[in-house]
Amino acid sequence: MKRYLKLYGWLLLQQIKIKLEYPVDFFLSVISQIFIQGTGFLTIWVVMAQVPKLNGWNFYEVALIYGLLTLSFAVSVTFTSNLWFIGYTYIRSGDFDRLLVRPIDPLFHVVMDTLNYSGFGDFISGFILVIGSTLALGLTWTPARLLYLAFAVLTGAAIFVGTYLITADTAFWIMDSQPLTYSVFKNFEFAKYPLSVFPRAIQFLLTWLIPYGFASYYPASYLLGRDTGPMAWVGVVVAVVLLFIGRRLWFVGLRRYSGTGS
Amino acid sequence: MNEVITRPRTEAALIRTVRRTVAAYSAIASISLKEAFAYTSRVWVPFVIQFISIVVFIYFWRAVYASSGSTLGGLSLRQTLNYVILAQILVQLWEAGYIGLFGYLLRQGQMGLELVRPIDFQFQFYTRQLALLLYFILQRALLIPVLWLFFGLQLPSNPWVWVAFGISVLLGHAVVFFFEWCIACLAFYTTEVGGLYQTRTALARFFSGSLVPLALMPAWLQALTGFFPFAQAVSVPISLLIGITPLTEAPRVWLIQLLWVVGLGVLSRLIFRVAIRKVTVQGG
Repeated sequence: MKRYLKLYGWLLLQQIKIKLEYPVDFFLSVISQIFIQGTGFLTIWVVMAQVPKLNGWNFYEVALIYGLLTLSFAVSVTFTSNLWFIGYTYIRSGDFDRLLVRPIDPLFHVVMDTLNYSGFGDFISGFILVIGSTLALGLTWTPARLLYLAFAVLTGAAIFVGTYLITADTAFWIMDSQPLTYSVFKNFEFAKYPLSVFPRAIQFLLTWLIPYGFASYYPASYLLGRDTGPMAWVGVVVAVVLLFIGRRLWFVGLRRYSGTGS
Repeated sequence: MNEVITRPRTEAALIRTVRRTVAAYSAIASISLKEAFAYTSRVWVPFVIQFISIVVFIYFWRAVYASSGSTLGGLSLRQTLNYVILAQILVQLWEAGYIGLFGYLLRQGQMGLELVRPIDFQFQFYTRQLALLLYFILQRALLIPVLWLFFGLQLPSNPWVWVAFGISVLLGHAVVFFFEWCIACLAFYTTEVGGLYQTRTALARFFSGSLVPLALMPAWLQALTGFFPFAQAVSVPISLLIGITPLTEAPRVWLIQLLWVVGLGVLSRLIFRVAIRKVTVQGG
């Protein structure tokens, strides 16, 4: 474990060096990601300037949902987005064999190769939204609330990673897994809004199947003092289950792997 | 290989040149189409993605209208839904650009090869993009009955509205093409293009009116949208199709679009002429 942490730190440093080779692009990527989040959010602002509430949620409450989701997503994408390209970049090209002969866990290696700086832009956007909305709502950040915020963001990030991993595992069978990962991931669009806006089937989907609701709607409800029951805490169990399934499926796939023959 | 450039002296030679040119460009078009259909995942994934974003927006707007009057910015819920559904489809014209291809050609050192081909570099790209527009229409057409059946998408029955819409889409597509060209030329300076592409996409998504109908935006935002070309390919044709802009206004709409096309077309050629001097071929 200690060895892996040391390795991770060292490889992260190398990644940063690589990215700084193209400083203009680095800068543009971060800025553009803020733009993307900003324009997405501007939409909600424009609409909610004309209606007082969205299914009982006011503008700042919706902003909190949006901000929490963006934070979780940012963390997951910054550090693990290579999982998206496992099929295309590693398995299809035969590059995966290179990882197999190394004395470290190949999954760890794939994840270590990632540093997606567009995530920085997402993180900044999410941070501004969460802080801005809670200030406007007059919510004070007690230590307990701060701890819950960290818990919620990490849980949410783990859920994102879980969905990336499970869909990435299919690369051992279907080779290019990125379309599947992206299709599942895209469901996060639902989680930007109060889940109660959607019909029951979609609520169920976002809670138990592609559980991005735990990265946004449920923690936001809890922070706002709404009645969530156990749903404020169940997310962490869901995250662990997802990661466990993803890891088991990884081993099943790995046993099946025989290279692309190229 | 280079004989195409020679000036035709007789009528027969002229016909031969035209024939050869048409053959070259139609080959480009058909290869682009085949390429687009070759990867099955590229065919079904946009479907799924599009479907999700449309469903999200439908329920979002229903909730919005549930807590407001029967109209917002002069639009009924039905009109807004029709608009948003179609906008989610058309905005893909902005998202499927060729900036990435430009960057790829530069990084792989293939730009030089592309430039010495005996056909116009820009027109070659335009042909490719036109073929992709055809692919786009064929593919998305399948989505229309689904949306009509499940989400009550309403489309006009007057064929002239469709003609007006078709012309407007074609002009809007040309606006997208020339604007992309200007941006893509910046790749000669930055080499990497990911950031450029994303910034353009983010701006296009909002200012094209694909997320919120322009009629619902506050006046200052509406004014700001006028400065960008983005709405020309999304909001403008859709407004014609669903009757926000009456059919009698069509010629005026086309003229404005045409001005955008000509302006950006000239600009794109100028920028390319300057930028090409900067061409650096990596690893070459």
